[in-house]
Amino acid sequence: MSKDVFVFIEQRDSELQKVGIELLGEARKLADSLNQDVVAMLLGYNIKSKAEMLIHHGANKVIVVDDEILNEYVTEPYAKAVCAIIKKYDPEIVLYGASSIGRDLAPRLASRIHTGLTADCTALEIDEESKNLLMTRPAFGGNLMATILCENHRPQMATVRPGVMQALKNNPDLKGEIVEEKIPFDKSDMNVVIKEVVKVESKKKDITEADVLVSGGRGIGAPDAFNMLGELADLLGAEVSASRATVDAGWIEKDRQVGQTGKTVRPEVYFALGISGAIQHIAGMEESELIIAINKNEEAGIFGVSDLGIVGDVHAIVPKLIELIKKEKKAKSEL
Amino acid sequence: MKFTKEQELLRQNVREFVKNELATYPDHVDETGEIPKDVMDKLAKYQFIGPIIPRKYGGAGADYVSYAIIMEEIARRCASTSTYITAGASLAALPLLNFGTEEQKMKYLKPLALGEKIGCFGLTEPGAGSDAGATATTAKLEGDYYILNGRKCFITNAPMADFAIISAVTDKTKGAKGISTFIVESSYEGWSVGAHENKMGIRGTQTSDIVLDNVKVPKENLLGGEGNGFKIMLNTLDSGRIGVAAQALGIAQGALDEATKYVKERVQFGRTLSKFQNTQFTLAQMATKVQAARLLVYDAAKTKDLGEKPGLQSSMAKYYAAEVANEVAYAALQLHGGYGYIKDYPIERIYRDARITSIYEGTSQVQQMVIAGYVLK
Repeated sequence: MSKDVFVFIEQRDSELQKVGIELLGEARKLADSLNQDVVAMLLGYNIKSKAEMLIHHGANKVIVVDDEILNEYVTEPYAKAVCAIIKKYDPEIVLYGASSIGRDLAPRLASRIHTGLTADCTALEIDEESKNLLMTRPAFGGNLMATILCENHRPQMATVRPGVMQALKNNPDLKGEIVEEKIPFDKSDMNVVIKEVVKVESKKKDITEADVLVSGGRGIGAPDAFNMLGELADLLGAEVSASRATVDAGWIEKDRQVGQTGKTVRPEVYFALGISGAIQHIAGMEESELIIAINKNEEAGIFGVSDLGIVGDVHAIVPKLIELIKKEKKAKSEL
Repeated sequence: MKFTKEQELLRQNVREFVKNELATYPDHVDETGEIPKDVMDKLAKYQFIGPIIPRKYGGAGADYVSYAIIMEEIARRCASTSTYITAGASLAALPLLNFGTEEQKMKYLKPLALGEKIGCFGLTEPGAGSDAGATATTAKLEGDYYILNGRKCFITNAPMADFAIISAVTDKTKGAKGISTFIVESSYEGWSVGAHENKMGIRGTQTSDIVLDNVKVPKENLLGGEGNGFKIMLNTLDSGRIGVAAQALGIAQGALDEATKYVKERVQFGRTLSKFQNTQFTLAQMATKVQAARLLVYDAAKTKDLGEKPGLQSSMAKYYAAEVANEVAYAALQLHGGYGYIKDYPIERIYRDARITSIYEGTSQVQQMVIAGYVLK
């Protein structure tokens, strides 16, 4: 009989990634409604010391596989190790972060174990009657929300979008069990040679390729204000864009202009800061997935298309936002 | 259409002026994007920029037929210059003339007529073109001042204007009746203009946005009382259209002039183009349309001069003359063949200039709405 909710804990350079901690929080909720336990799977090299942290964030048990071959993420040895654990413990549910690692690993396992996998979930729930896992994910470019079940195979597996789930507060009083598993690796498991891992600071991108855009309009008041927007953009890994008014005024280059006569953008998040929202601008950004508008004038047209609107002064709100994001980032780095 | 002796003399006068002052000038204006200061001064000196403004306020004290004559003859040579004239002579002048207090007239209308100040008309917004009732610019009364916020676009003369007639919402609960009109000086804090629009035609005129950022406008600069803005703007356009209609007529005549001259010179198959029946029929059609437009334009001006409401006539004149200007410019360029497509021949510029006439001061479609409104009354 399958039981327990397993979470694959992602680490990079022996640093735990936030998505794994978030998933423990979600797994805790699922496990509680099933009256089962949360089990974390921690794979890596010289990683054992981090296991305690996972218990403090909600895991009842941590299965650690510590081996030199797991130092860097490589599909084959990781898939082999997780597959062995799943076969041995027979979990009810296994969750992975929908990061580049999770997205690579999870389908291998689904195929090896012959079970179902739902990718990029944004909501998970236990069906009260059948006790099956209801996995909800956006499909067709976010135009449709699909809820998917895996009724006849176990474990039920899902990758979950980073940032969607809530991590539990660090509670040092929580107790749990740490189990070490030895997986017999051999040379043939390392079928990939990692020559170099390159970490690049992402350079300025074309605004049409950015996932997040911080866009300023005439309401930001002066060209200097783009420095503030730049700071926010850096924190978010975003690019700075602008409305035509600021380009005309010479505050920013033309290639940053969004709108009918500028570029058409479709980022995941679009910050419209001090932009009134003339149709000539809106035509260039209304397809953005999430539009956040800040404007002094509550009548501004931009609020007609924004998902989230704040009536107020950009110069008062953006610095606070920057401060908050910095705080959040700091909390994450202390994790 | 019979003209009075004065009107005939005026036409001679304007033709002389155009011949002497604007000979090689339209190409220059088209290329540089601005009208030289000395030409602006001369237009003021000859009182071409304020024909309908009474003498008391520094104008010529003439009638609308005279105004149409000036517009026709100047547009025949240079559409940009005629646009510069109409922006001041009707759009900025009419609201002041018809709704201004004596004080406002002395302070703004007189220097406008004398060419000491340049005015412009700020109605259009990014979100409010044909639908002028959708104005989003706001004016809030705070003590002795109205605080204006908003953005106007495609405003002729804005980059060099000393003041603008601006429409703004003073009471949004009242829709079109909640719009008021203000005289806003460009020296007021919070006034700025956008970049010069890179236009297809009438490139000699300067067109840009006006951005109003918390502009403090003295209470006495409210024009014609709160809530009358929409009425003032429409009244202005009713008569102002006569100017643009006359401009379109002038452009059409100018295109006809160029085509007539060219077909008499150009030889193909051993004879001039003018000997071909196709050319003759085309020219006949062009000339007839231009004359029909002319009669509509002067009929509208005459109606206004007789003290009647010119709304229907001016819409018909503007609609028809603008469409004719486009058709005639097209046919004239076609008669030029490949040479018509080259900037060395004036028809290339005229063809581009003609295009705006069926768009600004009410598109052809808006004119049709107005006309249908009268027909179906």
